[in-house]
Amino acid sequence: MPEPLSPLTNKTVAGHFGAGDAHGVTLGTRRVSSLWQIAGWGDFEAVAKPVLTSLGLSGLGCFRHAQQLGAVTVWRIAPDKILLEGVRDLAAAASEELMVLDLGHTRTAITVEGSASRDLLAQVIAIDTAPAAFGPGEFLQTGIHHVGVLIHCTGPDRFDILVPCTWAETIWEVLFDNALPHGLTIEEAA
Amino acid sequence: MIRIKCPICGLRNETEFTYGEDANVNRPSMDEQGVQPWVDFVFNRDNPRGWHKEYWHHVQGCRQWVVLERNTLTHEIGNCELARDAKLPPSQASEAAE
Ligand SMILES: [Zn+2]
Repeated sequence: MPEPLSPLTNKTVAGHFGAGDAHGVTLGTRRVSSLWQIAGWGDFEAVAKPVLTSLGLSGLGCFRHAQQLGAVTVWRIAPDKILLEGVRDLAAAASEELMVLDLGHTRTAITVEGSASRDLLAQVIAIDTAPAAFGPGEFLQTGIHHVGVLIHCTGPDRFDILVPCTWAETIWEVLFDNALPHGLTIEEAA
Repeated sequence: MIRIKCPICGLRNETEFTYGEDANVNRPSMDEQGVQPWVDFVFNRDNPRGWHKEYWHHVQGCRQWVVLERNTLTHEIGNCELARDAKLPPSQASEAAE
C-alpha cells in the first residue's frame, strides 16, 4: 500500500525563524491516523451509541470537550455528527440510519506549541484563547483565513489543528507568518 | 460587527456565519394550486423595520443552520436557536386556506 505523504512535506523545513533569540512557538505536523466521521438524523444517539460503546466510550460527548480513550480521540462536532481519530475501520457500522465516512485522507494535523502559542492563535481566530477560556481537552471549530478548521487544546500551551489537506499549505503559511514575531521553531516532519 | 451565540459553539464572530434567508417564509403546500402563494414564496418579502427572524449558517463552525433574531434598525442580536428546533410562523399555504 502506498505511504500517504503529508501535504506539508515540503513546508516542514526544520530550523529557527523570525525574532532573534525568542522561542515562542514551535510548529510541526503529526500523522492523522484513521479519521472517521459518523453522522445521522433524528435518532442519532440511538444508532451512534453502539459504535461508541464498542470503542469503550460511554456517551456522545459534548460540543466543547473531546473524549480521549487511549489512542482514540472523539469530537462531537455537531448534534448529529461525530469525528473519531485512532479507531479501527468503521465501514461495517454503516446503515440506513448511520452514515460512516472515512476522512483519513482529508485532514492534515498541524501542531502548535510554546509559550506564545495562545498569542499566535489569538492573531488568527476571533475567539478568546486564554487558558481559562480554552483549556486542555477542549476543542473548537472555527475559521483560519476563512478555512474551516478544528482546534484541539492538547496541553497547557499545545494545540492540534485539523485542517483540510487542500488548504494545509495556506494555513501553514498563515501560521508561519504570524509566528515570526514570537520566534518560530519548525520541527522535523513527523 | 455583530456576534452570534451559536447554540452549539457559543458566542462567535459574524464572519464565521453566512446569511441564508428570511426565516418567516414558508413553502406553500405542494398541492397548492393558487398562483399568488407561490409568487409570494419565491419573490415577495417584507422589509421590516425592527426585529426580524433570519436563517444563518454556521459555515466555519458546527455547520448547523440557525434561526437568528436580528433588529434591522439597530443590528441588535436576539435569540439564536437551531433551525430544527425553531418554532416558525404557519406557512403561507395554511394562512391562505384560512
Ligand atoms: Zn456553531
